[in-house]
Amino acid sequence: MRRFTSDTATVTVIAAPAGFGKTTAIAQWLASDDHRERAVAWLSLDARDNDATTFWRYLIAAIEGALPRAVSPDERSGRALAPMSEAALDVLINQLQSGPRMTLVLDDLHVIDDTVVHAGLSYFVEHLPAPLHLVMVTRADPPLPLARLRVEGRLREIRARDLRFTEAESARYLTEAMGLEMSDTQIATLDERTEGWIAALQLAALTLQGHDDPARFISRFAGDDRYVVDYLVEEVLQHQPQPIREFLLHTSILGRLTGALCDAVTGLSDGSATLEDLDRRNLFVVPLDDRRLWYRYHHLFAEMLRARLTAEEPELLRELHLRASDWYERNGLLEQAIEHAFGARAFDRAADLLEASSTALRQNRQELALLGWLEMLPPEMISARPSLGLTFAGTLLSAGRIDRVEQLLSDAESADPSTSEEVRTLHAGIALYRAAQSMVIGDIPATLSSARRAVELASSGSDIEQGASAGLLGLALWAQGELTAAAESWTTALEHLAAAGYISDMIGGSLAMADILLAQGRLAAAAAVYRHGLDEAMRSQPPLRGAADMHVGLSGVHYARNELENARAELRSAESLGEHSGLPQNRHRLRIVAARLLLAEGATTEAIDMLIDAERLYVSDMFPDVRPIAAVRARAYLATGLYQEARDWARGRSLTTADPLSYAREYEHATFARVLLSDPATVADAVTLASRLVEDARDAADRGGSLVDLLVLQALARSAAGDEANALDALDEAVSLAEAEGDVRVFIDEGAPMLRLLAALTKRTPTSSAAVRLLAAATAGRAVARVERTSIFPASTLTARELEILRLLASDLSGPEISRHLTVSLNTVRTHIKNVYAKLDANSRQAAVRRATELGILH
Amino acid sequence: MPGVNHSADSPATYEFRVSGHLDPLWAAHFEGLMLACDVDGTTSLRCEIVDQAALHGVLHRLRDAGLSIVAITQVDR
Repeated sequence: MRRFTSDTATVTVIAAPAGFGKTTAIAQWLASDDHRERAVAWLSLDARDNDATTFWRYLIAAIEGALPRAVSPDERSGRALAPMSEAALDVLINQLQSGPRMTLVLDDLHVIDDTVVHAGLSYFVEHLPAPLHLVMVTRADPPLPLARLRVEGRLREIRARDLRFTEAESARYLTEAMGLEMSDTQIATLDERTEGWIAALQLAALTLQGHDDPARFISRFAGDDRYVVDYLVEEVLQHQPQPIREFLLHTSILGRLTGALCDAVTGLSDGSATLEDLDRRNLFVVPLDDRRLWYRYHHLFAEMLRARLTAEEPELLRELHLRASDWYERNGLLEQAIEHAFGARAFDRAADLLEASSTALRQNRQELALLGWLEMLPPEMISARPSLGLTFAGTLLSAGRIDRVEQLLSDAESADPSTSEEVRTLHAGIALYRAAQSMVIGDIPATLSSARRAVELASSGSDIEQGASAGLLGLALWAQGELTAAAESWTTALEHLAAAGYISDMIGGSLAMADILLAQGRLAAAAAVYRHGLDEAMRSQPPLRGAADMHVGLSGVHYARNELENARAELRSAESLGEHSGLPQNRHRLRIVAARLLLAEGATTEAIDMLIDAERLYVSDMFPDVRPIAAVRARAYLATGLYQEARDWARGRSLTTADPLSYAREYEHATFARVLLSDPATVADAVTLASRLVEDARDAADRGGSLVDLLVLQALARSAAGDEANALDALDEAVSLAEAEGDVRVFIDEGAPMLRLLAALTKRTPTSSAAVRLLAAATAGRAVARVERTSIFPASTLTARELEILRLLASDLSGPEISRHLTVSLNTVRTHIKNVYAKLDANSRQAAVRRATELGILH
Repeated sequence: MPGVNHSADSPATYEFRVSGHLDPLWAAHFEGLMLACDVDGTTSLRCEIVDQAALHGVLHRLRDAGLSIVAITQVDR
């Protein structure tokens, strides 16, 4: 076992077929001197571990068994994090990273074929903590990213060829370990015939022990073509007394053996004694613990025995399984009792057992196993058992499957009306599921009706039921533009989620709540929601998921109030918490706020690139897309003079002035109006559209946030159309509305035209302190933009577009010629050129080209 | 297109070839299996396989029986 001494490898894979002594090899190494300083965690896998939750739970338990307190499963974060998401794995990895050296053995890894488990394992392997040596024992190469480890010399592989006995090893085994007297030729023959396969050598040795004519056996064996295991097992079996032979065959149906169980199956009373005898003679049984209470058969041998049993006594199979099932049931081991009931095809019995154990199975997250068994039962059997039907329906629903659920529920209800409370709960579950489905495909009316039904059905139910249904209803109402009702629904939802202890879900819901409040123009209330969510998240160590989102939210509020330093600080806090501290939406939300800050600093190209990134990372998480990132980007184009790009966006969205207005598309239409404004030919259309939008928002009466934005638009449109007086009226109203909450950026972001209008407004009504303050802020903001270039995300490389411009600068095309060549406006070109100069620290075309050549950007 | 055009999910007959001669009792263990020992020391196992999932199931069981697979072929119906 020299091959293990190197300490640089951190992963060992032992891959070989059954019977090659893999487990023995590892066990021997772990017991050897090489291994003194390491704790050992051993996880023997079986088919029931083929589920992400179960797998990791047992893996962590195995580690805890070796090193108590090495990992501390945080109850709250355990529930808040998605089961074995990368975030949860990060927690485990970090805890192991700072722990003592340890070996973790995963035995029989080939039984795992669940893709989620493999994905998690891949991640684990890619981020393996330094003190950990991972050993994987398997019959099939694991589908994990081992190539990199191999290249880095951190992977050790032990394969069948390494485990086969050499002739010398075979000789030692046969003569010393098994005490046989053999000639060199005989040893060579056996070694060749078995190919050094340990299982076969073992069987051969067993046959030879006490054989009356070993020489003849060996020569016949050598000359025979039969599969070695077939041949040898038959030899061994034939040489056993009949009672032993029967014992072996009949107990072969058992995965695990113990004296009393064997007696129940064989109908005899010498089970324990027989097992001890087999153990002593090294005949196929493996003890499962030190007390030698439980055994199992060697894999290969068990296969062979079962094959024989099926061939010789098929009618006995059912009876044997029933006896086993009965014994397991009497001893309170219901899972195995169920398995054997199915083995006997005794479906009635299996159904009875399932009814008795379903609660326990669901509590232990054995839903996959439960579902598998339930699906094996004949449908008529389930419809006759209402309680089982309900269990089945509930399990399907938690697995996200709605097929059969309706049928199961109506069968259950008609079979036994007293189950109506459970039926109600499940109907509520279906309504919620349906509402979610409709939301995902964007069918708002269907979502509303399902969500309302869910709320109704949940009203007498648990906190989580009420919270989830109120939340979904809130989302649908929001999508419809019924903001007051949506806010009410979400307030209820958040209360129930908090009461149910689902804190991370409450934090996620806070995002929706705050978004709705912002749409209503209630910045202070939104900030309070973010702060509360943040407080809750920070109670845990590490902070709950969603903490980053709260910081980003607060950043957005600070930005709106023109408190740019605070906004930046909140973004930094969000980033320092790490990506796994954010809920799915945070990836795009953070970038949108960052983009706004970049725009405020005048870093327009970076801002737009950031928005493109944000769009790529967008996930709805079932929130209505009321502020599409593409529209935000279009506004950024307009603000930076890239009018063609903005018009392209509008065309791509098929927006026309004849469109009916709806809350869902309000932001897009307002953006479209701004696009119309950028072209003198369509200013009149912009004015009309703006008026329609303003009226629509006013009618809704609870869209304060939108109204300010739309009044600003209206002011700008009217001004562009030459209607200065009415423009100032609109602006006046906007200023008053925005004053209480301190929404300042909505004005400042409009740039020079707004500056001019504000100045005009202060002249018209000098007593309006709000307008004066805004004007001051707007003026200061413009000065700041020129000076400050400290971006959140360092920008040191040219974007693709800038590179194009740079290459054209190196030619002798003039500015206008370049803009024609690229078919963009001259303004656009000028902006790009400005950025290129800034990045290259140049102030002229020649200087820029020279610098770029020095840096190797141009050749 | 000439030849047999199967969809991946329709039943087909597969032949697995393993090292060593297998005892006929294996036929009962793998339902519906036809077993034939060949002079080259291998055994061919033919069975009707319903779909790809069933195919992988058989492969697993061959593996668990410690058999060495030397060839897998889909045979004309």
